[in-house]
Amino acid sequence: MRDVETRPRRYERLIILALLLASLPLILGFFLLVLSSFSTEMVTNLDPRSFHPTLENWINLFQGKIATTGGIRVNIWRITLNTLIVALGVAGVVTGISALAGYSLSRIDFRGRKTMMVLLLVLHAFPGVALIVGVYLLYRLTFPQNYEVVGLYSFAYVILARAALEIPMSIWLMKGFFDTIPWEFEWSGIIDGASRITVWRRIMLPLIKPGILAVALFAFLAGWQDIIYVRTFLVYPTLATFIEANIEAEYSHMPLIAAAGTFYLLPTIIFFITAQQLLLQGYSGGIKG
Amino acid sequence: MTKGKLRDLSFFLSPMVLMVFLFYLVPLVMTIYISMTRMRNWNVDRYLTEFVGLYNYERLFHMFQHDPTFKAVVMTTLVFVGITLVINVFGGLALALATFFINERPASSYRLLWLLPRMSPIAVYSLVWYYFFHGSEIGTLNSILMSLGLISEPIPWGQVTPWGAWSVIIFVNGLVGVSFGMIVFTSALNQIPKELVIAARVDGASSWQISRRILIPMIKWHLLYVLTWQFLSLLTTYPHLFLLVQWDLVNRDYGTTLALYVFNTAFGMGEQDQGLAAAAAVILSIIGILGGFVTLKVLKFEKMMKKPRGDF
Repeated sequence: MRDVETRPRRYERLIILALLLASLPLILGFFLLVLSSFSTEMVTNLDPRSFHPTLENWINLFQGKIATTGGIRVNIWRITLNTLIVALGVAGVVTGISALAGYSLSRIDFRGRKTMMVLLLVLHAFPGVALIVGVYLLYRLTFPQNYEVVGLYSFAYVILARAALEIPMSIWLMKGFFDTIPWEFEWSGIIDGASRITVWRRIMLPLIKPGILAVALFAFLAGWQDIIYVRTFLVYPTLATFIEANIEAEYSHMPLIAAAGTFYLLPTIIFFITAQQLLLQGYSGGIKG
Repeated sequence: MTKGKLRDLSFFLSPMVLMVFLFYLVPLVMTIYISMTRMRNWNVDRYLTEFVGLYNYERLFHMFQHDPTFKAVVMTTLVFVGITLVINVFGGLALALATFFINERPASSYRLLWLLPRMSPIAVYSLVWYYFFHGSEIGTLNSILMSLGLISEPIPWGQVTPWGAWSVIIFVNGLVGVSFGMIVFTSALNQIPKELVIAARVDGASSWQISRRILIPMIKWHLLYVLTWQFLSLLTTYPHLFLLVQWDLVNRDYGTTLALYVFNTAFGMGEQDQGLAAAAAVILSIIGILGGFVTLKVLKFEKMMKKPRGDF
């Protein structure tokens, strides 16, 4: 419910204008980045003379030519694929685990259930930085001797370690979705003699599809945007580490990095357009700020 | 507990328990252990067994007393957490209230726009502000101020210590945190009975009076929740700061909070000192865990947890 029917109209424009002013740096910053990706030089100082429209940056980016001279090349598709693997992996692990645990916390009464839920909240508040030193030691101690599996190992490890950070809040989120399903649906299944596992799989999962989608979306974005874990654990570059490394590199052509940044932003923009309601409702959990 | 129930529970809970064990419990123990060794440069073979007791904690204490760099880090942490917290809570409240009083269409566009900092990849978000606050004339802020005639020389914002660097990191992180408060407060405001607002309007109350007398008192619990939650988050997050420091946009000492200090000491360039980093991390965790439990007690989370209906 909102304040609409009886509200005087005269202040509305004022509020909208004030909001626009407050949002200006945000709009300007992102706009200039996207604009620069279509220009021969960076357009950051609001000087229209520095904007010369071109598609060259995008073409060079997709061909992997990151410098105008010297022939330094990267395979941007490979880098994108790495980023995608991490993001999809995190989304898969988080969604699976929270769909399982969320169900039992919502529906099954057992000893230690309350403690477990409190513990999950505390875990979410637990400083990630306090863990990363230990997580890295575990990584080193379990590092494979066989060079062929190093790549696979580092992918698996970064996915699991990053997913672990998202799990506490995702379980809470998922539990909330299970809570909204009327008990009667499940009851009928159990009367017919189905086990809890069957009921979960056959009745509950189809009912909470929106919840699964929401949790998967947030986990995907968390994995997609991550920089700390991928640069610490992954032996391959991702879009984040690519941008990080190229800001200070002598040879990099900055409008091309702007194009890489815009390219990296694409999933965010897609979700912005397609999943607005989902984002507005569900973004309160899961991510620290 | 029956056998069937035990089987069901282990099916549902064991993946989570395993993850928590592997990625929270074991690392925590390992971090505490590393904090009592001389571990450096990740030379596991050489230093893992070199036990030094509380030596690293003594070093931290000594640095706290005598090392100006470390003092800068502690000061930065205090100022950063304090001011960003206020911006997060009141900025979120202001956004939620402002969008409450306008039409749904512009309101939800604004809410989406303010989610952008949280949703966009950290590297892209940092890139945006890198150019915005850049210390030369290519920086957007500098060029705006120069064309307005307010300044004649470009100002290296992030290198002006301490307040220049602090302003940049507070601004950049403040924008990320605001959306959390905004979302929580918006959903809280939407649960307030419509009649209260309409009755106040009929009596001639202004939006400001409605906010102050009706809306804000009714979302007190949420205010407290966002305040404590954001406090813990700000104390321990560092990814957004990491790149700003890495790219030299902000001064190294006055742009580094304790959480970032831990990360850079353990994984940064130059000599890495995991023993020291782990000791600082343990201290941060103690603050975090205490804060977490105080939060739970104050907010009475346990009362919100009801027994599942109809379980047998």
